[in-house]
Amino acid sequence: MRPRLAIPALLALLVVAFLASLAFGELRLSFGQVVAALGGGGDDIARTVVRDFRLPRALVGMAAGAALAASGVVMQAFFRNPLASPGLLGVSSGGALGAVAVLALGPMLGFASATLWALPAASVLGAFLATGAVLMLAQRGAGTERLLLSGVALNALLGAGTSFLLTTTAGHFEVNAQILFWLMGGLESRSWEHVWMGVPAILAGCLLLLPLGRAMDLLSLGEQSAQSLGVDVRRLRRQLIALSTVLTALATAVGGVIGFVGLVVPHILRLAFGPAHRRLLPYAMLGGAAFLLACDLITRLFPLGLRLGVVTALVGGPFFLWLLRRPR
Amino acid sequence: MRAVPGPQSSVLSLQAMGLSVPGRLEDLSVDLGPGELVALVGPNGAGKSTLIQALVGLLPSHGTVLWNGQTLSHIPAAERGRRLAWVGQEAQFEFAFPVREVVTQGRYAWGDDPAGVTEALAELDLGFLADRPVTRLSGGERHRVALARALATRAPIQLWDEPVAQLDVRHALEVMRLARRLAAAGGTVLVSLHDLRAAYRFDRVLVLDRGRLVGNGRPHEVLTAELIRQVFRVEATFVESLVPELPEA
Repeated sequence: MRPRLAIPALLALLVVAFLASLAFGELRLSFGQVVAALGGGGDDIARTVVRDFRLPRALVGMAAGAALAASGVVMQAFFRNPLASPGLLGVSSGGALGAVAVLALGPMLGFASATLWALPAASVLGAFLATGAVLMLAQRGAGTERLLLSGVALNALLGAGTSFLLTTTAGHFEVNAQILFWLMGGLESRSWEHVWMGVPAILAGCLLLLPLGRAMDLLSLGEQSAQSLGVDVRRLRRQLIALSTVLTALATAVGGVIGFVGLVVPHILRLAFGPAHRRLLPYAMLGGAAFLLACDLITRLFPLGLRLGVVTALVGGPFFLWLLRRPR
Repeated sequence: MRAVPGPQSSVLSLQAMGLSVPGRLEDLSVDLGPGELVALVGPNGAGKSTLIQALVGLLPSHGTVLWNGQTLSHIPAAERGRRLAWVGQEAQFEFAFPVREVVTQGRYAWGDDPAGVTEALAELDLGFLADRPVTRLSGGERHRVALARALATRAPIQLWDEPVAQLDVRHALEVMRLARRLAAAGGTVLVSLHDLRAAYRFDRVLVLDRGRLVGNGRPHEVLTAELIRQVFRVEATFVESLVPELPEA
């Protein structure tokens, strides 16, 4: 497909997904009602539903989707491995463990009121610990096997930590439910507080990534050749690892563990528009936002108790298997 | 007759360089001057790639590496990309960039130069492959892409690590002619090789053996039967044989 069409096509997809996620739900609204409510008009109920419930949910979803997809692009270039992604490498699990630790231990230590701000901080910390572990286990340019096996080991380890916290809080139903919520990922009852907690920082992270596309192209084809061509590789690596970790952590802090976005979205866009990162990065941000909104919409349209993380896994799992079987 | 240049006129200079890994490179001093076409030969594991990577600044080494008299570590990254181009022994590409985009990466430190990129593609006979994903090329073709990218930098110092090992006879000769032309235009070209007969046609030959420089000078003075016996453990005889040449243009 022509790269020229990418931005308009992805923007159109995003706008449709955005409007649909404001319109659909238990109370079905027309697009006219949605637009009126956004502008401050329409009836009170529609305005409340749109502005207080669905709009923050959609904003959080878009930001989380953009963050995870951009993170995936960065990790794939960084590890020079198209199968790297925040979920498979355990960075999401690290963020989740941090978040769950705050949820579980916060009330005991008496800072429940600060939880909303402690959560992203703990998530970032957990994600950085996981990233550090991946960097030690699988050096850059490590083979696919080594990289994925490191991810498997790390995911298992961090998952065990999370399970431990889950069982130690078994008596506290409220806390337990909250933790389960993080583990399966979801955008239910996201409020404006969550928007302020995650969206501006994610936006800033995305903007900081965009100018690095060209250098990422060189890095993705070899660290030594990139350095010989004039890229400050050490600095670039630091920037990339910091930004992708923070983006993943923030997405996890506001939406829980949502897998496969960082794998599926970059891959489809790379197949459609080629691997050049200065284009792939903005495409992945738009595409990731639209993809996550669409997945969230599915959880609402088919109220079978489907969770967002479950839907992305249902899409992403088979896709991942297909990628593994595909000759590279 | 060209004198072996001293440090004053040298473009690239190694002084008492060694690598922390013991036995890899020991106490090496070399100077390369402008307009020189230099061959680097030695058995497998002698340290040819290591020496080249140290000159590029890709390996932490002790001793001094100077580019135009300036200490390498004091030269900013982008400026390094403008002064020197390196072609590694491995030309492995993980992502399916079109050939033209890979060659365009050679312009990273400079800014775009579509005409120069087209020229570099033509020079390596890649014009017809320009839009092909680099992942779908043969090993020899990928090496030509790496060479074209180095050429597109227009850097005056070119260091090529076994650039012709995987090339067919015609493309190998073309790459040698290109190296000769870059040197004639004032560049400094260092090429590592296994073909001693090809090395014989360079301005200067460096011979590495187990991390030491055991020969440095004009080919007929350095590549003697005696040295070849000691370093490569083969008997060399000088006879007439088949010599493929590019036809006159």
